[in-house]
Amino acid sequence: MKYLDVRGLVVAHGQVGPGTHILGIRAPEIRKGAKPGQFCMIDLKPPGAIDPLLRRPLSIHRVGPKGLLIFMYKVVGRGTALLSQLSPGGSLRILGPLGNGFRIDQSRPGLLIGGGIGTAPLVFLSEAWPKDVEQVAIIGGRTRADIEYAARCLEDTPSRVHLATDDGSLGHKGPVTDLMSRAMEMFEGRSPVVYSCGPGPMLKAVARMAADFNLECQVSLEARMACGMGLCLGCAVPGSRGDDSADSGYLHVCREGPVFRADQVSWEDYPCP
Amino acid sequence: MSINPDLAVKTGPLNLKNPVLLASGTCGYGIELQGFVDLEKLGGIVVKGLSLEPRSGNPPPRLMETPCGLLNSIGLENVGVDRFISDKLPALSALDTAVIVNILGDSVRDYQELAGILDQVRGIDAIEVNISCPNVRAGGAAFGSDPDMASEVTAAVRKATSLPLIVKLSPNVTDITLIARAVEHAGADAISLINTLLGMSIDIKARRPVLANTFGGLSGPAIKPVALRMVWQAVRAVNIPVIGIGGIQNASDALEFLLAGAAAVQVGTATLVDPLVSVQILEGIRMYMKETGISDISGLPI
Ligand SMILES: Cc1cc2nc3c(=O)[nH]c(=O)nc-3n(C[C@H](O)[C@H](O)[C@H](O)COP(=O)(O)OP(=O)(O)OC[C@H]3O[C@@H](n4cnc5c(N)ncnc54)[C@H](O)[C@@H]3O)c2cc1C
Ligand SMILES: Cc1cc2nc3c(=O)[nH]c(=O)nc-3n(C[C@H](O)[C@H](O)[C@H](O)COP(=O)(O)O)c2cc1C
Repeated sequence: MKYLDVRGLVVAHGQVGPGTHILGIRAPEIRKGAKPGQFCMIDLKPPGAIDPLLRRPLSIHRVGPKGLLIFMYKVVGRGTALLSQLSPGGSLRILGPLGNGFRIDQSRPGLLIGGGIGTAPLVFLSEAWPKDVEQVAIIGGRTRADIEYAARCLEDTPSRVHLATDDGSLGHKGPVTDLMSRAMEMFEGRSPVVYSCGPGPMLKAVARMAADFNLECQVSLEARMACGMGLCLGCAVPGSRGDDSADSGYLHVCREGPVFRADQVSWEDYPCP
Repeated sequence: MSINPDLAVKTGPLNLKNPVLLASGTCGYGIELQGFVDLEKLGGIVVKGLSLEPRSGNPPPRLMETPCGLLNSIGLENVGVDRFISDKLPALSALDTAVIVNILGDSVRDYQELAGILDQVRGIDAIEVNISCPNVRAGGAAFGSDPDMASEVTAAVRKATSLPLIVKLSPNVTDITLIARAVEHAGADAISLINTLLGMSIDIKARRPVLANTFGGLSGPAIKPVALRMVWQAVRAVNIPVIGIGGIQNASDALEFLLAGAAAVQVGTATLVDPLVSVQILEGIRMYMKETGISDISGLPI
């Protein structure tokens, strides 16, 4: 067991887009073992309080010096709304690093594909990327404001960055998969490995296209989660038939994931609200 | 005068080094927490409910947070008794803490067969029978909702094993004392309660139930007053030890159950939020006993 439950000091907290915030927490013990694609469970309650009961899972967005962990999150409900009100100087209980991260294949170029808030873990991946391995990133979102900040983070890395928005306010007008097929030409016949995180329908489309191009594809999935440690089996997603890691037919995002090979997932049954 | 309280508990034929246990379904097979929580400090671990064959559980979503509570419809996903014995039990039974195996089935025969298998295995300290499951043969009503069915399951398991036998009651009944007495007479060594309360939640935007299974079991602080009332009633209805479960988040919650007459407690949902909480609960009970000058755990009930 490599994870820890600590109280971390909030050292930075600010809005970077509509409803989107970054949160910097000092937690050296967790920072030390953290790998791209892993997540933490963050307790939003003041000490002694019992509501909201559960911790919230957030992917590690970046790491920094002096034990800094940075998260990027979108306000979607009560928990994230409460979190957004916390000021620097406060503290939070944080459990991590949890789950299995991306497995970087050093022998092949990387194609990082992020959608909306799903770009969060890809920034850590891009920053930890081996220097001598080529990386290309494609970021998509509904509109300019949704992806501007994440795009800037990635533009500061060696990654070549391509952007797409549904409304065409930044980059290509259309889905990330349009750019994915174009990017394939840039690799000049070498097969990249795809590393992706984003909303369900996007991941489904990316996985399908990766399969069409015969590419290895890793996806970071989300599911409603209670413990983050494999205790409750709540965060189930349908596993593809014949995959051994889904020993019950279901994969558990916290324990076997959150990063899976796309072919481990049964995409026909994958819930895409 | 400083006292060193004795926390050892005798729940029928089962000896526990202290009254704090981890509840079934909220601590995996125990080994998931190894190296993180000092499990040997605890009185025992009740593993995830096991069936004869592996079960895949319900489709997602399986969870929903509610005010001070958690709705779950895991659907009793488990690796099955054989894989538990071969893959999980060796590491678990090496720990110096009681290993309690929770079992479930679709029929009385399932329960009986499971108990028979476990009876032959070393490293198991007790069986806990989850009777909140539907009796498939009898139209799907839960075994635990009817005194006759509850008693039939208990008697069948009793026949199949000499291991200490705990029967875990469902709170989804009108009169818990009827079921408690029925399983006592059928041979239970102890009872534990409560399992989750049946509940649901609706997504008004999507206009459909949140859980794929429509209904789920409610746990957590929201259910504590109901659990405490039922434990109080059960303690006064039977002459076997009662293990209190439901919404225990801290030592004072646990003490309420112990004062109500529970011989031990199980911590469930709280572990999901704070995996180290059970050890803190134990320390809090010890502190309370010191402060109030109670030297033996059996002196707690009011
Ligand atoms: C491994 C993992 C990593 C994640 N990383 C990030 C991240 O880096 N940034 C980010 O903004 N979000 C991330 N999420 C999603 C985030 O956890 C949820 O948005 C958050 O829990 C919602 O809490 P809430 O109280 O605000 O919303 P609630 O009021 O609980 O729910 C509002 C909406 O959020 C959805 N939701 C609730 N809980 C979850 C959950 N655990 N996972 C997915 N959707 C959920 C519900 O379906 C609902 O529509 C991640 C989820 C997982 C499982
Ligand atoms: C996610 C989850 C899974 C559970 N699985 C089981 C189970 O397999 N067998 C069982 O007897 N009880 C199961 N329970 C019920 C708990 O053991 C306990 O009785 C109940 O949650 C009330 O206690 P709490 O409020 O402390 O959680 C489960 C509860 C939860 C939250």
